Amino acid sequence: MPKGTFITLIGIRVSKNHRERKKSFESTKNVTMSSRRSRSRQSPGASRISDDQIADLVSRLQQLIPEMRNRRSDKVSASKVLQETCNYIRSLHREVDDLSDRLSELLESTDSDSAQAAIIRSLLM
Amino acid sequence: MKARMQNSSSSALLKQEFLKKWINGLQTYTNTKKEMTILDRKNAIKLSADIAIASTRNFSTNWSRAVMADVSKNVDGSSKIVTEKILGRKETCIIKCSKNIMRKSRLLAHRKRAIRRTIGRTSVKAASAIAKELVKKRTRVLKRLVPGGKQMNEICLIKETLDYIASLQVQVDVMRNIANAADQCLDSTERSLL
Repeated sequence: MPKGTFITLIGIRVSKNHRERKKSFESTKNVTMSSRRSRSRQSPGASRISDDQIADLVSRLQQLIPEMRNRRSDKVSASKVLQETCNYIRSLHREVDDLSDRLSELLESTDSDSAQAAIIRSLLM
Repeated sequence: MKARMQNSSSSALLKQEFLKKWINGLQTYTNTKKEMTILDRKNAIKLSADIAIASTRNFSTNWSRAVMADVSKNVDGSSKIVTEKILGRKETCIIKCSKNIMRKSRLLAHRKRAIRRTIGRTSVKAASAIAKELVKKRTRVLKRLVPGGKQMNEICLIKETLDYIASLQVQVDVMRNIANAADQCLDSTERSLL
C-alpha cells in the first residue's frame, strides 16, 4: 500500500500548507496563554459569568455519567458529580486495560488451522 | 428525539473511524515486529487504540494533543518507529513544538503556585469554604486523570472531560464488541470441532 493512501486511511490531515502548520502551532500557544491569563484575573464580574458556565458544564457532565443520569440536577452537588466523574474515568481506563488483555489472549490462543481464527487474525493483526 | 438520533448516527461514524484507525495501527505494528509476547501484543493493542481514539479528534482538543505527546515521549525503540509511521513526521514535529510550550508553561505555573503557597493560609472554615475545598480536591484528582489536564483552568478542564469521556465510551464500546465477536467466533469453532 503506498504511503500516501496509508496516511489518508488513518485520516490525519498531513498539513501540506506551511501556514496550516503555523496555525496549529499558534493555537496550542494560545490555549496555554489564555489559561495563564484567566488564572491571574480575579475580577468579580468574570467569576459571576463563569459560575453559570460551570453549573451548565457540571449538569452536562452529569448527563454523561450513566449512574447519575436519572437523578434530578438540583439535588446533586458539584463535588459529587466530580467524584463520580473521576470514578467513571478510572473504571473506563480499567476496562480498556482488561479488554486489551482479553484481546491479546484471544489472539494468542486462536488455533492457526481454523478458518474463522484466521479471519480474526487477519482482521486484527 | 431528533437530537438522540443525530447523536447515535454521529457516534456510529466515530466508532467506524476509530475502528479503522485502530486496525491500521495494529497492522502496522505486526508488519514491523514479527514476533511478540502476550505482553507486547497487549501493549500494541492498547497503544494503537489510544492513538486511534486521540486522532479521531484531529488535534482539536487538548487531551488528544496531550495523549499524542505522551505517546511519542514514552515509546522506545521499535514502537517509536511505529508511532512515527502512524502519525506522520510532520505531525510529530507539531507535537514536539507544543510539548516545549507546555513544558515552559508548566514551569511558570509551578513558580506561581510556589509563591501563592508562601502567602499566608487562613484557618477559618465556613461551610461554603468546606464545600469549595471539596470541589477543589476533586478538581485536582480530575486534572490528574484527564491527559493534559494539569495546565487547564476549571472551565477548560470540564469541557475537555466531556469530550474525553465521550471518546473513551466509543473506545470501550468498539473494543468490547470486537472482543465479544472474537469470543463467539472461537466458541462456535470449538463447538463445531467437538
